[in-house]
Amino acid sequence: MAQDVINAATLGSLYLLFALGMSLAWGTIGILNFAHGSIFMFSAFVCHLIVREAALPMPVAVLIGLVVGAVISVLVQVLAFEPIQRRAADHRRAELQILVGGIGMAGVLLAIAQRVTKSVPFGFSESTFRVHVYDLGFVRLSNVQIVIVVAACLLAGLAGWWLRSSRSGLALRAIGVDPEVATMMGVDRRKLAVAIMAASGGLAGVAGVLLTYYLGSIAAESGDAFLLKAFAAIVLGGVGSVGGAAVGAAILAVVETIVLVQTSGTWVDAVSFGLIFLMLLVRPRGIFGRKEVRRT
Amino acid sequence: MSYWYDAHLILIQSTFVSLLLALSIQFPLRMGVFSFAGIGSYGIGAYAAAIMTIRYSWPAFAAIGAGMVVAMVAGYLLALLVSRLDGLYLGMATIAFTLILTVVAINGGSLTGGAQGLYGAISTLQTGQVILVCAVVVVLLALSERGRMGRRIDAVREDPELAVSVGIRVIRMRRMAFVVSGALGACAGGMNALLRTTVSPDDVGFSLVVLALTMIIVGGSRSWAGALIGSVIFTWLPQVLQAVGDWQTVVYGVIVALTAVYVPSGLLGVAQNGYRRMRRRSGPVAGATEKATGSEEPGGDSAPLEPLSEDVPTGGTR
Amino acid sequence: MNTPEDAAPPAVLEAQDVAVHYGGVKAVDGFGLKLEAGRICGILGPNGSGKSTFLAAVTRLVPLTRGRLMLDGEEYHNTPAASLAHRGVARTFQTVRLLPDLTVLENIQLGADLRAGGGGVKQWFRRTAVPEAVEEAIERTGLGAVRSARPGELSYGMARRVEIARALATRPRVLLLDEPTAGMNQAERREVSQLMQKLRDEGLTQLLVEHDVPMMVDTCDRLVAMKSGELVTEGAPAEVVRDPAVQEAYLGKRGRNHA
Repeated sequence: MAQDVINAATLGSLYLLFALGMSLAWGTIGILNFAHGSIFMFSAFVCHLIVREAALPMPVAVLIGLVVGAVISVLVQVLAFEPIQRRAADHRRAELQILVGGIGMAGVLLAIAQRVTKSVPFGFSESTFRVHVYDLGFVRLSNVQIVIVVAACLLAGLAGWWLRSSRSGLALRAIGVDPEVATMMGVDRRKLAVAIMAASGGLAGVAGVLLTYYLGSIAAESGDAFLLKAFAAIVLGGVGSVGGAAVGAAILAVVETIVLVQTSGTWVDAVSFGLIFLMLLVRPRGIFGRKEVRRT
Repeated sequence: MSYWYDAHLILIQSTFVSLLLALSIQFPLRMGVFSFAGIGSYGIGAYAAAIMTIRYSWPAFAAIGAGMVVAMVAGYLLALLVSRLDGLYLGMATIAFTLILTVVAINGGSLTGGAQGLYGAISTLQTGQVILVCAVVVVLLALSERGRMGRRIDAVREDPELAVSVGIRVIRMRRMAFVVSGALGACAGGMNALLRTTVSPDDVGFSLVVLALTMIIVGGSRSWAGALIGSVIFTWLPQVLQAVGDWQTVVYGVIVALTAVYVPSGLLGVAQNGYRRMRRRSGPVAGATEKATGSEEPGGDSAPLEPLSEDVPTGGTR
Repeated sequence: MNTPEDAAPPAVLEAQDVAVHYGGVKAVDGFGLKLEAGRICGILGPNGSGKSTFLAAVTRLVPLTRGRLMLDGEEYHNTPAASLAHRGVARTFQTVRLLPDLTVLENIQLGADLRAGGGGVKQWFRRTAVPEAVEEAIERTGLGAVRSARPGELSYGMARRVEIARALATRPRVLLLDEPTAGMNQAERREVSQLMQKLRDEGLTQLLVEHDVPMMVDTCDRLVAMKSGELVTEGAPAEVVRDPAVQEAYLGKRGRNHA
């Protein structure tokens, strides 16, 4: 039981790291990034390539993941989403195009990783970091798990603080509520969008590297599965809120762990989809979602 | 010709199946309903046709029809459930619906064959029959893009509030979109299962959602012709890209991304714009703008009591 | 509130004590009026006084918080908006809402489709719907020359006329016009006013929401003044305009600027 709690906490932290950036980008600048899963995977992949050449300690690997994720995310924003938003005739078309643009970018990243790894799972076996499992008698806890949980709490807290108190965070929230007002307030939407995409990609990169440490290795195709989990977490908690993403990730992880323990495991995937579906039916804005103020 | 036909039979069949699948997403999209339930219906249709063929030896069209009926009912019920949702949220919910069906198929025991799926759904379904079905569907959908139905679908998509004010029952139309989408998706799935004689949970996953969406956006989302263009391209592209060898998946991704960014109206839109421009050059539309009488500026000499802040004249809609 | 006048025609559409609240915002709060058969009633009120919201409530586009809506003496506050249109209530919108990809003719046909008969697959695919209603609407609004143009090619005034034509093509019994002449020049306004009066003489019941007070006085048989979602006063146009409460609420500082 205690072991399940630990596992759920780790899983939830990973979900949170991954979903947080996606949720913020969706809630503030209105970009639902379908390439987020691939950015997550690709950061770990690049990290894997580097670690293969130089035995690096874990903090450096995480930092590499963060930087790679941020860079790719910004590239996706500048190369795909920005031109789409600039040229799209209306909001709904832009949403669709951003979806497909993200899918295309994701395809490119996935294809490169698949080609190089020949679809064989990759990991950081050369890293100087060694996994230690502490046996506390009633529960086994690894140092990776501790790092993951701490990193998730720290980064989510940081993101929440940034949104709440800094000037650019306020501007971002203004954009989320009303783009026109934000523009009138003198907010440089373009710069902020790049910033949020960088932050979002960085979080995904960290999540990717940590997941790889946790599991030992991941496959190039892991991104899509995570993408769907992140939807579930976001929809559960409510789009664009840090607390929401945290609660959503926690609920998802707990329910999945329960189902995994209670059943054969083949139903686990149904949990996230079922939760998405139920939540959308019962409370489409999520637990913490604010009422959408969309002016016609 | 006949040699080519035989050599590419599978691709030809896939093209038509993909067309129906793409249409099952596109038809609701034309009404502004962003639903991927058609992909789930594809799964329903595929499994129903396979089960009916293997277990009860039903003739091909009956087996496919059974799947269509189930999918239409499921589509209607789903429409009732998700009636409050719109936009991306609706998209999410319907993706979730589709993926739940996959998990159900994996856990369906001997009925669905579990993770391996079903084999040996051998039927008499001919490629010619598939093409015929597609032709009928395309004709019906093409008709729905013209005249009264075409206008009404446009109105439901562009401005639901306006649509109800001219007496269009928007909610009913949207429900119909789910039902039609279910029928089209199930038809595609059923035909594919019988042509391949097999179906497995892997056939109906997130990747199929992605493929269908890509076909429509790249081809063009407003007309059946766009879905046709998309299904032809994405069925044959891997074949064509064999020339670039290992890099084909990368090129594939780049093409998708580029079209999404730079060709927002899809290839069909590009073709239509080109055609329109050609026609305009040969003969301008008779005095459309010139005829507009008087000044365009509000409040000039008529002195309304307040500046008309909300409705700045733009000459167009919104 | 609704004092019956002598020899007033029967009310076709009646709204009593209508309230529409959004959260704490009381967009409309206890407003009502009667549309008498074959007459033009006007709603006068400053921007933000709730006129458009009231119209949206009457046409069932927004739910009522409170109040009664009646068509021919029969309550309809649970009738869907589309059914209301089928029962002969047509409206135009404050902003131009034409479908950009359709021609002027097709936009007007959209209105006439309503009268093309009920369901049935055959009806879906009919090319033209009630061509007489469309032609009549085009002729009345003087849009003949631009029938094959697209909305993007029209001047604002012209686009507004297409709105009116679309509403007319539904062959309504009651026509609700939300600022139909906004953005039009004086000559165009006069034309709309004349059209409305002609339609009234043919028996069409109309409701006009406008800013142009002189035009309203010329056009309407009755005026209802609205402020902050509430009724200020109602009666004959000349009296309502002279009413001190209206002068203060609406005409205010700019009251002298027009004649």
